[in-house]
Amino acid sequence: MNREGGMGNEEGDLYVNVGRLTRQLHDALRELGYDVKLENAVGSLPDARNRLSYVSRLTGQAAEKVLNGVDRTKAELQHLTDGATEMAAALRADPVGAVASGRMMGFLDEVGASASRADTQLTEIMLAQDFHDLTGQVIRKVVTLAQGLEAQLVQLLVQTRAHEAAAARAAEPVRAEPVRVEPVRAEPVRTEALAGPAVMTAGRTDVVSGQAQVDELLESLGF
Amino acid sequence: MSVENMKFLIVDDFSTMRRIIRNILKEIGYANADEAEDGQVALSKLKSSPFDFVVSDINMPNMNGFQLLQQIRADDSLRTIPVLMVTAEARKEDIVTAAQSGASGYIVKPFTKATLEEKVQKILQKVGK
Repeated sequence: MNREGGMGNEEGDLYVNVGRLTRQLHDALRELGYDVKLENAVGSLPDARNRLSYVSRLTGQAAEKVLNGVDRTKAELQHLTDGATEMAAALRADPVGAVASGRMMGFLDEVGASASRADTQLTEIMLAQDFHDLTGQVIRKVVTLAQGLEAQLVQLLVQTRAHEAAAARAAEPVRAEPVRVEPVRAEPVRTEALAGPAVMTAGRTDVVSGQAQVDELLESLGF
Repeated sequence: MSVENMKFLIVDDFSTMRRIIRNILKEIGYANADEAEDGQVALSKLKSSPFDFVVSDINMPNMNGFQLLQQIRADDSLRTIPVLMVTAEARKEDIVTAAQSGASGYIVKPFTKATLEEKVQKILQKVGK
């Protein structure tokens, strides 16, 4: 701007050029199909967010299950230890009486029952490890999604840089040629054909929410 | 053949899941089991030694569970082997596809020991073993 608050010729040209470049960039993005691609990419982000929330939820549940299982198993072991200590004391004090009163037999029965309960807890702990499979599948999908997104952004960057260079050359005093940009085929973000774990089941009728619904569906098919 | 000697093939790309299924099968009385990480490896194992029961995932690389099921049902020497799908695929259309392709049963992950036991027993009863 000059002292009177108006724009000098050179500055005025600069703003006009910047405006023209912005317009050309916008047009080029549309021409290249990147407006749609960016929209798709942004559209896929909530899906990634849901999937990551699912991973967080599942790993949290698995950790809870494992910790609960460990607590219960430890309680069983403590119960056995206490029982064994009492039984040992009883046997030391009166070996015949401890056996004859049935206390020994009762303790042995309790050992069997307690071991069985501990075994059930260990099976639960083992089953809780299924989160590795379920979250692994979901993470794979998110990685694929991120790779697609990355590829699209890199493509966008490369094309934009090429376009900027061409536009800068065009802005030189020599008569500006229209910038030629090669359209790039819009690749949708890659998703696998199989859906994997149902991340969001609420309000959906195309997925089952548990084994009972699977059995119901199979029964309706004559299974 | 006695039930204890029945040979199971567990097909899943996650080793954790193969191990879980193998342990449960052992707990319910089926200790004789082998593993495969995808449909292709499973098919090769099925063709090279006899198996009595297949427990297969669906979403796997190289050859998925549906493709494996189709190959088993199309092969005269394998077609009678029961195939139980154990998968995270919860879409109804996948369950219907599995049933129509000849799956003997379908379990959706996550599952319990009781569910796996019930389905295996039910299938074995159905095929008379």
